[in-house]
Amino acid sequence: MLESSEPPRARFELDDRGFDEVPRKYRKYYRKWLGDGDELAPNEVFCPVCKIVVRSTREIREGDRIYCMACMTRMRVVRGANGQLEGRVEY
Amino acid sequence: MTGPAGIASDVHAARPEDFRREVRSFTFWLDSVREYVPSAYGETLPPDDVAKEDRDALVTVLSSYIVGETMALEGAGALVRTAPNREAKIFLATQTADEGRHLEILTQRMNELGAPDIDHAIRTRVNPFLLEFRDRLLELVEAGRWEHALFAQNVILEAMEFAAFCNHMENADPRTRAILEDIVKDERRHIGFGENELGRALARDERLRNELARLRMELDYLVLGSFEHTLSELRIPARERPTVKRSYLDAVARLGFA
Repeated sequence: MLESSEPPRARFELDDRGFDEVPRKYRKYYRKWLGDGDELAPNEVFCPVCKIVVRSTREIREGDRIYCMACMTRMRVVRGANGQLEGRVEY
Repeated sequence: MTGPAGIASDVHAARPEDFRREVRSFTFWLDSVREYVPSAYGETLPPDDVAKEDRDALVTVLSSYIVGETMALEGAGALVRTAPNREAKIFLATQTADEGRHLEILTQRMNELGAPDIDHAIRTRVNPFLLEFRDRLLELVEAGRWEHALFAQNVILEAMEFAAFCNHMENADPRTRAILEDIVKDERRHIGFGENELGRALARDERLRNELARLRMELDYLVLGSFEHTLSELRIPARERPTVKRSYLDAVARLGFA
């Protein structure tokens, strides 16, 4: 399988960053984008629809599916023109 | 299949249909707004410290916001009947409640600023582009044209409000900023609903794509004209205005209307 030939993914313990726009049980999956100077961790992707940061318990890679609950959007992770990973909306 | 813990055990591992059912449910909306909607206006807001000389400009901007929120309230409420399935009807019921709340808190803010006659403020201060956009949107709603009305309301209007509010927040007085931050939390859901609903419809209907492309061209003039007025009232320098409009343009571009 393709997955097994890749290095294992880093795992992340998600903490509550105070994102209060989703039910409490989902809060840890999201945080606000802090603007210039903010950086995405390996387990984070920027939501292009509502401009927040989506977080995962594992390192995010190209081809992954992620969900933004703040704007109810499903995304596929792609590598953008600048080489960074970003979410592309799937309808 | 999602396990007994629901999709909370790992949101990103959920099946698309389970995710969609969850986020469009009434319970999801209620549990979300419980996190940030105060029990009374002003309860969590910072004190009002707008300088006397800045109050008039703020009243003008808020008058436009009230027109936007009123049309969204009337539009969302009426679209419950037109929506093609129960899931969409339930979502629009929650959006209607959101829009009513926005209208109420903006009205209270206007009253605080010494502008109790909202209708007079709208007549004398709101730009004609926005008023014409409102008339066009409500025509589409009343005609029962689901996709067209949803495009005008949840994509164009909501993206326009989102961009204007986010930009205004950066320079607003603390009390107005807190109000706008609160409203934007709801707007994220409204934008996402419109874009996702239409994205699926557009993928299978070329005729609809052509019709919405024409509608977008028709409304662009009103949207961009309204943007110019509001950004001017907010004293946003001309060189920064294209950045603010970008959010609206990105939303329509994602749907294939570059």
